[in-house]
Amino acid sequence: MNEDMSIDQSPHDGGDSGSISLECDDLKVTLVGAAGPVDILRDVNFSVAKGEFVSILGASGSGKTTLLRVLGGLQAAAGGKVRCNGVRVSGPPAGVVTVFQDYANSLLPWRNIRRNVGLGIEASMSKDDCYSRVDEALALVNLQDRWNEYPWRLSGGMQQRVQIARALAMKPSILLMDEPFGALDAMTRASLQDELQHVQGLTGTTIVFVTHDVEEAVYLSDRVLVLQKTPAAVGLELATALPRPRDQMSTKESPDYLRLRHKVYEALGHRVGH
Amino acid sequence: MSRLTSRFNWLGFSTFFGFIVLWELLIRLKLISFDYVPPPSEVFVAARDLILNGEMQLNLQHTLTAALVGWIIASVVGVILGVLLAVLRPMWTYSMASVDALRSLPIVAFVPVAVLLFGFSLQMEIVLSFYGALWPVLLNTFAGMRDVEPRLLEVGRVMRLSKASRIWKLQLPSATSHIVVGMRLGLAISLVLTLVAEMVGNPAGLGFALVQAAQALQPAQMFAYIVAIGVSGIILNAGLIRVARLLFSGQMASSGESK
Amino acid sequence: MRGLLPLVLLLLIWQMFGQADSPYFPPPSTWVTGVQPLLADGVLLTALGWTSLTFLLGLVLATILGATLGTLVGSNRTMDRAFGPSLEFLRVLPAASLVPLAALILGYTMQMKLAVVVLPATWPILLSCRSARRSMSPVLLDVPKTLGLSRRDRVRKVLVPALTPAVLLGIRVAGPLALIITLLVEIVTRINGLGALMGTAQANFLSAQVYGLLVIAGALGFVVNWLVTRAESAVVLRMSGRVEG
Repeated sequence: MNEDMSIDQSPHDGGDSGSISLECDDLKVTLVGAAGPVDILRDVNFSVAKGEFVSILGASGSGKTTLLRVLGGLQAAAGGKVRCNGVRVSGPPAGVVTVFQDYANSLLPWRNIRRNVGLGIEASMSKDDCYSRVDEALALVNLQDRWNEYPWRLSGGMQQRVQIARALAMKPSILLMDEPFGALDAMTRASLQDELQHVQGLTGTTIVFVTHDVEEAVYLSDRVLVLQKTPAAVGLELATALPRPRDQMSTKESPDYLRLRHKVYEALGHRVGH
Repeated sequence: MSRLTSRFNWLGFSTFFGFIVLWELLIRLKLISFDYVPPPSEVFVAARDLILNGEMQLNLQHTLTAALVGWIIASVVGVILGVLLAVLRPMWTYSMASVDALRSLPIVAFVPVAVLLFGFSLQMEIVLSFYGALWPVLLNTFAGMRDVEPRLLEVGRVMRLSKASRIWKLQLPSATSHIVVGMRLGLAISLVLTLVAEMVGNPAGLGFALVQAAQALQPAQMFAYIVAIGVSGIILNAGLIRVARLLFSGQMASSGESK
Repeated sequence: MRGLLPLVLLLLIWQMFGQADSPYFPPPSTWVTGVQPLLADGVLLTALGWTSLTFLLGLVLATILGATLGTLVGSNRTMDRAFGPSLEFLRVLPAASLVPLAALILGYTMQMKLAVVVLPATWPILLSCRSARRSMSPVLLDVPKTLGLSRRDRVRKVLVPALTPAVLLGIRVAGPLALIITLLVEIVTRINGLGALMGTAQANFLSAQVYGLLVIAGALGFVVNWLVTRAESAVVLRMSGRVEG
């Protein structure tokens, strides 16, 4: 194991370890539609602590992808500001990497896995250093043996792991993930969720994870932010405080988990015996 | 579902040779006879004689050199210009309409202009070959550079790649298959223009040989030359695809898969 | 519109710095006067007539030939494999190489012109119809059979409309090609038409006339391009209408 990987000393219980990774103040995002400009997001306020795993939960079309894109500097905000590691965001910030849902379109089909993973770092270090970083990253997602393959030869789950490895190779302080497991089947999704947890445990990266899946949000995160209403804002903020490491069986059967899950569904408008 | 029990198309090739045999029989049996249409056997003899006395090789060499030199220069210039046009927005806004206008000019109409300006020379052939191949390469490069998967460009922004890196690592590889298509088109055009130039201008090469053979009433020789031209075209085209697959295996294979 | 700037600029600079008596680069203003002699006795008009006639006739013949052959070859896997290589070989022969031979066999006649124009112009249409026929659902042809339609009606009411878009798309490519080959034949053989005029002007070193004729050829090319693009839009419109409806 590489000493470079910072192993967080405090348990992941909401990341109360001091510094703030990401701040979002009075964010307003406007998109121009057929009928003129429409506010997609308004008065969005939250912050993410260093090493925290935060989920942004919302229905399709709720603006959660837009929010993530603004956080990642891929889209401009109409009002308010976003700060990553204390620096105002205007364009993709250093130390922040976005992982997209469509893994097939995000990998370079003419490069093998190793060169794909090295895309972000090859310009700034020697070939040997680059390759050793790539090997570390691939080891984190258990794809070391496939370094010489081309993306189309791998399954969907593996391709997504390659995209994650590529992000990890850059040693980001913040990882933004846009429904990364949404296009995968349930079993692959479950194993990738656990792999992601494991990776975060080793690297201590701050993760902002967008999803529409309530179970996934509660299972993975330290905190869940639910986007609600139109224009969207953070309707419910819920700290999960479930013990780590979590697993698909015992965690999901624990009363705490079920209670949290119930709360989220309630907030989303579901009722018992509906 | 085609049953490719043998990858070689025996049926097709036997049909082809069947036609040739039929042609031979029809003429030999005097069932059809045109002035100046020789049977395949005579064409074969004429071809053999031309090879033996070296004329075939000489003419092939002249024409192919002119066409290929012009084509190679056009490919290099075309790719560079195509990339520039795609990357420098102002350059594009201020020239696309001109490119479109020039493009609809029938290329063969430039032959008299070239003969006028450069006289009867190899230089004239190369200039024509260059001009003809330039457009398909340029336009295909341009199209390929702009046809990049948008998500890939976003990945480039996320990775904070420099503009130059994005062009070199993302756009150009994406454009490779388009460029190869443009180069194939350009090759065909170069060959045609070179032949025409030799027929009306420079008295050398295959085009001139064809005209000479016509004047000497030697249709068998003409057929031989025509077959040689056809075969050269096939070999050059196949060679180009082979080389492209070898050099750019990743780019070619992936566009075959996904696009 | 701004995109025309380089072209306009080039012409302007040429006009300003070109010398009227230059043998190689007479300025644009001289082109009009250069072409004027051809307007007398309707020489230019006749030539344009010959070029247009050859082009149109050639395109029509190529369409009929290409559509028929393409549909036939595409309807039957065995025929496709049998005739494939022969057709492929014919396809790669550059039209230019056939001109002297055609002139020898058929003489300096309209038949010769058409023979040379029709052959290469057939291919885009043939290939387009072939692939369209190949990918046609067999059900489409079975339905009229079950309805008891005669063979003639089947072809007329089902096959032709189904393949029309493919034919039009083939014409999109074949059109400009037919024009180029027409001019090619005329330039090489000097038989008649715009190409012959260009060849003669070049042989007589009438550079202004050459450039003037080049512009006219360009205008002709532009018109042909415009026409075939309309055909292409008609196809796209029809197809998108079908998808929605």
